[in-house]
Amino acid sequence: MQQATETRELIRIEILGYRLRGTYHRPAEDSSASWTGRTSSGGTAILFFNSLALPRAATGDSAVYWAEAFARRGYPTFRFDLPGLGDSDGQTSTDLLEFINSGGFAPAAVGIAKELVDRAGYSGVVMVGHCAGAVTANYAAAAFKKCKGMILLDPYFHLPVAKRPETREMLSDWARRSVVGRPLSNLFDRLKHLRLFLRGSALPGNANTKLLSKWKEVSAAGLPILVFKAPGIKAQGTKPRVGEFDYLEYVTKLAGRKSDLVMKSIETADHSFANRAGREAVREAAEGWLACHFLPADSAAHAKADSLPGKANKRSGSTKTRVAPPNPDCALEGR
Amino acid sequence: MPSQPHADMQLIERAGYFQVPGAHLYSVLHEVEQPAARVLLVGPFASERHNTYIPWVRWARFLAERNIEVLRYDYRGIGESTGALEEMTFEDLSQDIRLLAEWLATRTPKAPLLLHGHAMGAVLAGRAFDEGIGDGLLLWSPPVSANQALRSTLMRWVGLEQIFKFGANRRSTADYIRELEQGTPLEVDGYEWSTKLWKESFSFPLPEALITEKTGGVAYDRPVKITQLGRDAAPLATGGSVGYDDLKDFTWLFKPHYEWIAEAATKSNQRAQYATSN
Repeated sequence: MQQATETRELIRIEILGYRLRGTYHRPAEDSSASWTGRTSSGGTAILFFNSLALPRAATGDSAVYWAEAFARRGYPTFRFDLPGLGDSDGQTSTDLLEFINSGGFAPAAVGIAKELVDRAGYSGVVMVGHCAGAVTANYAAAAFKKCKGMILLDPYFHLPVAKRPETREMLSDWARRSVVGRPLSNLFDRLKHLRLFLRGSALPGNANTKLLSKWKEVSAAGLPILVFKAPGIKAQGTKPRVGEFDYLEYVTKLAGRKSDLVMKSIETADHSFANRAGREAVREAAEGWLACHFLPADSAAHAKADSLPGKANKRSGSTKTRVAPPNPDCALEGR
Repeated sequence: MPSQPHADMQLIERAGYFQVPGAHLYSVLHEVEQPAARVLLVGPFASERHNTYIPWVRWARFLAERNIEVLRYDYRGIGESTGALEEMTFEDLSQDIRLLAEWLATRTPKAPLLLHGHAMGAVLAGRAFDEGIGDGLLLWSPPVSANQALRSTLMRWVGLEQIFKFGANRRSTADYIRELEQGTPLEVDGYEWSTKLWKESFSFPLPEALITEKTGGVAYDRPVKITQLGRDAAPLATGGSVGYDDLKDFTWLFKPHYEWIAEAATKSNQRAQYATSN
């Protein structure tokens, strides 16, 4: 059995006493044999975290698809299984969601990022997380100074409410199927909206305040953040369903004027972003955003990436420049 | 027969890419120094791989802790393996099992080789066993054909899809099957199913003798065990909630099946000794 293919390498690192396993997607033009044996230093690596209990490939292997695409653009990209998930060692809490929502994976996530920086000489990492993975990325970014950016897919900022009674589930299902149910469901949404209106801009009782404070810490400091939003049930664009609290609007305000935040709604995606149209839209937008903010790992890959169509060319500085200044011509910057 | 894990055992897991024509199969060998048996795990297909990953890995570790060496792998074009799912045929998958089993069987010291298939993997493992591969066969929830395995995945996906759809936008499993049969590829949980894959799945049945454990036992001169998993085995069976059921304790399921494997290995060794002495 081989440890590597032409473009991938299987890696194992030890963090907090756990053997963690991951896949390294070698950037274009990098001929080094191993991720630790790179000839050039600097550049930004990209690091994916698990989404809830999914293995590191993610739904429909979408994380593999994005990692390969980013590596082709010259970014060394890593996908790791956090302790107790996928192929990594460890036992996770039986209430995984609660563990993640309280930042339980952050120490391991930071440990991985630090290992990449220390052993391979990257100047920093961009953390990528989907859903619960976005929560982990957010906590880890706040705890790791060399986190240079975040790509968050359908992040959430609330804690789960107690499980709904079965009759309520059945009622919701009926409302979705039935012609009569639809207007009743809309009426229910309006009543919830009225209640929300009366509450003003106050956070709902189940808001994840610990996570929100971490978000404020990193976003207000100007960390480049790209947020993708898939349409939710009865929702359009980045707006939530009528009657639901608009967390994305809230976190945008919380980030403040110094933030470097891009929100992008992918109308063709489902929540996993794994469907063809969704994953391609994410890839395209993320590649543009990365090109606006970060240099690929080495100058050769950099030069190649510049010649690719649709690539922003106004990047200044030598290969030693850690973070390129935001490009005013970048489509994503015009928010 | 060690039903408890070896406390002093340092478990070694070697992940690597196993080269087959047209792909690199991601494989993890749960290595054991003096194994009582070796087991090739042939797991669920496409999105079912993701839903069952944690218990599947735990099962491999459960066996390795009890002196059973295990090789698990990802199908071509799925998970960590390379290759294009759209180009894959069921014959390719069968060939991959032959190559993996051959490699596992050549490892030393010699030990009986058992196949364990689950869901789609049960069809593949069953067919390999029918060809004469393996000294024993364990099947969890074997479908009668590859098509039944695909259909079950499709139904689960459609059920989830419907949560996000209202009224006329809600489509049934039959609607999706009709499209697929008319030549339109279908995306199921991020995997593209081709019409070719769907049509081919009808002619890829579980061997008839393996429909029940009894008929399997009669047809083959090697041990066969078949277990239908109930909802309590979710996510290895359909039902349950993602993120909760993955992490539950499966000792109740693993222990009897480990015991069966150990017993099958002992029988296989006895048979081999008898054959040598005669």
